[in-house]
Amino acid sequence: MKAGLASLLLILAGGILVLGSAAYIVPEGRQAILTQFGRPVGDAVTAAGLHFKTPFIQEVREIDSRILSWDGDPNQIPTRDKKYIEVDTTARWRITDPLQFIRTVQNERGAQSKLDAVLESATRDVVSGHNLVEAVRNTNDIFGVIETRRLEVEAAEADVEEEVTGEIERVEVGRERLSELIAERAQPELEEFGITLVDVQLRRISYEGSVERKVFERMISERERIAEKIRSVGKGEQAKIHGTLSRDKQTIESEAYRAVQTIEGEADAKAFRIYADALGQDPDFYDFVRTLEAYGEALGPATRFLLTTDSDFLRLFKAGVRAGE
Amino acid sequence: MRGMVKWVAMVVLALVAILGVQSTYYTVEPEEEAVILRLGKWLKTSGPGLHFRLPLGIDQVIKIPVRRVLEEEFGFRGDAVASRSRGRTERSYDAEARMLTGDLNVADVEWVVQFQISDPMKYLFNGRNPQLGSGLPVANVRDISLTVMRRVVGDRLVTEVLTVGRTEIAAEAKRLTQKVLDRYDMGIRIVAVKLQDVNPPDPVKPSFNDVNTAKQEQEQVINQAEREYNKVIPEARGKAQELISNAEGYAAAAVNRAQGDADKFTLKLMAYREAPDVTRQRLYLEAMEDLYSRIEAVTIVDSELEGLLPIFDAGSALGGAPR
Repeated sequence: MKAGLASLLLILAGGILVLGSAAYIVPEGRQAILTQFGRPVGDAVTAAGLHFKTPFIQEVREIDSRILSWDGDPNQIPTRDKKYIEVDTTARWRITDPLQFIRTVQNERGAQSKLDAVLESATRDVVSGHNLVEAVRNTNDIFGVIETRRLEVEAAEADVEEEVTGEIERVEVGRERLSELIAERAQPELEEFGITLVDVQLRRISYEGSVERKVFERMISERERIAEKIRSVGKGEQAKIHGTLSRDKQTIESEAYRAVQTIEGEADAKAFRIYADALGQDPDFYDFVRTLEAYGEALGPATRFLLTTDSDFLRLFKAGVRAGE
Repeated sequence: MRGMVKWVAMVVLALVAILGVQSTYYTVEPEEEAVILRLGKWLKTSGPGLHFRLPLGIDQVIKIPVRRVLEEEFGFRGDAVASRSRGRTERSYDAEARMLTGDLNVADVEWVVQFQISDPMKYLFNGRNPQLGSGLPVANVRDISLTVMRRVVGDRLVTEVLTVGRTEIAAEAKRLTQKVLDRYDMGIRIVAVKLQDVNPPDPVKPSFNDVNTAKQEQEQVINQAEREYNKVIPEARGKAQELISNAEGYAAAAVNRAQGDADKFTLKLMAYREAPDVTRQRLYLEAMEDLYSRIEAVTIVDSELEGLLPIFDAGSALGGAPR
């Protein structure tokens, strides 16, 4: 009885031990490879849940099945047009052939160093084989923008809007395609490690220090040029307005003068005709009346007269009463 | 001795029972969803409330705050973090913000990406994402946003980036970031991309400001010229009108005066013609009378007197006023 209980307990303990060694769990987002004395056996186990293996002999190697990130170090690369830039790339990848992965790189750390080597050289090759713009711009949409801007400026004529500056080249490949090219170049080399790239992203592209300083200088000089232009346009506008002012003023004044002269001249002419018509009825009488009037007006009190008794006025002076005869 | 063993066994059993009961339920907060894994395999995703599970590590519960809006900052860090790490990391923020524009100029762009976890399962198991609340950045969002923002800015002119393009850039960045994340199928939904400060790099800033100053100066100069114009021209118009009105007055006066004179003459002529001789005589005499009466010096000389002129000093006689 006692021995029976002991042996039962022993069998139970043995069973638990065997079961514990045979059962294993693959969590979501992971996959497992069974190894027998260090050598992988069978296909990868990708379904999550409880699984069984040969106890004691087989071991479980668990690896990620999720999308993983690769983070590159910024690299200084000259572009085809000899511009030094710093390129910082990042990539998404996943382990698609776990068996191959286990055999070649063992673990993620091993994979990282392979990815470093492959992706950095692919990036270098692709970036240095293209002009800088290809890594900066994705499309040629910018030319549309420039054209619209130009038309706007033209339509508004003396609009003060700044002109487009900087070097603008057409892109043939574009930024997105460039990162695809890097991925395409790297993928075949990563195949043997059981790695598939999801994509490569050009996370950061910046000018190398000394190039950046030159770019800043160019930007500054461009801004200065634009500022000067704006000021000059302003002065030009001012001059135009001054010109308009002078023109309008002179026009207004001279038009007024002309109007004044014409109005007065017409009035005078009319007056002349009225006088002529009236006085023409008897010029002799007019002459007589007007002369008398003129005497009265023109000869002042200080005038010294020397009259002889022959004058018509003094006729009676000498003739006396005879005058009546 | 036997009683003692029994008692200890009871206590152990009670402890196990309490622990077991405690690990058979869990609560999900209103902002969360919980992913339940049974032996590592997805069982269900449960919403807020009280739920039961199998104890002893058979069921694993991972809670994800799906309704919380998470945020990643680019080119700067919010106050709480910044104050802790100011100075040391400032330069790396600069590098994050600095980007090339389509015309190969440089701009510093700061932005915020707000996102939510739309599918906890995918977030947890389609990509390696950090545990939420761990304070770790979500590298997938960061990397993609850095890439996309550069791509969007890279297709635009520096002036556009710095001025009018802001909303368009944010919208485009949101769209493209979501597009890339959808390709990864990681259960991340971009809520918004918000541009913060967008500036030219510090060394270039003064010259950009100078352009703005120039614009203001230009406006000022033009306004001033227009002010002068407005000051002079209306006045000139008024003066011109004044002159013309004056002339019109003169014209009216001249014509009226002429007409009046003419009428007067005609009337006088009519009367004169009725008795010309006597009227003529009368007019002459009246005029002379009026004239001589006002004259101070009238000298009368007999017409038959000879050699008169030598008596007078020629100058005073002919020159007018006496000395």
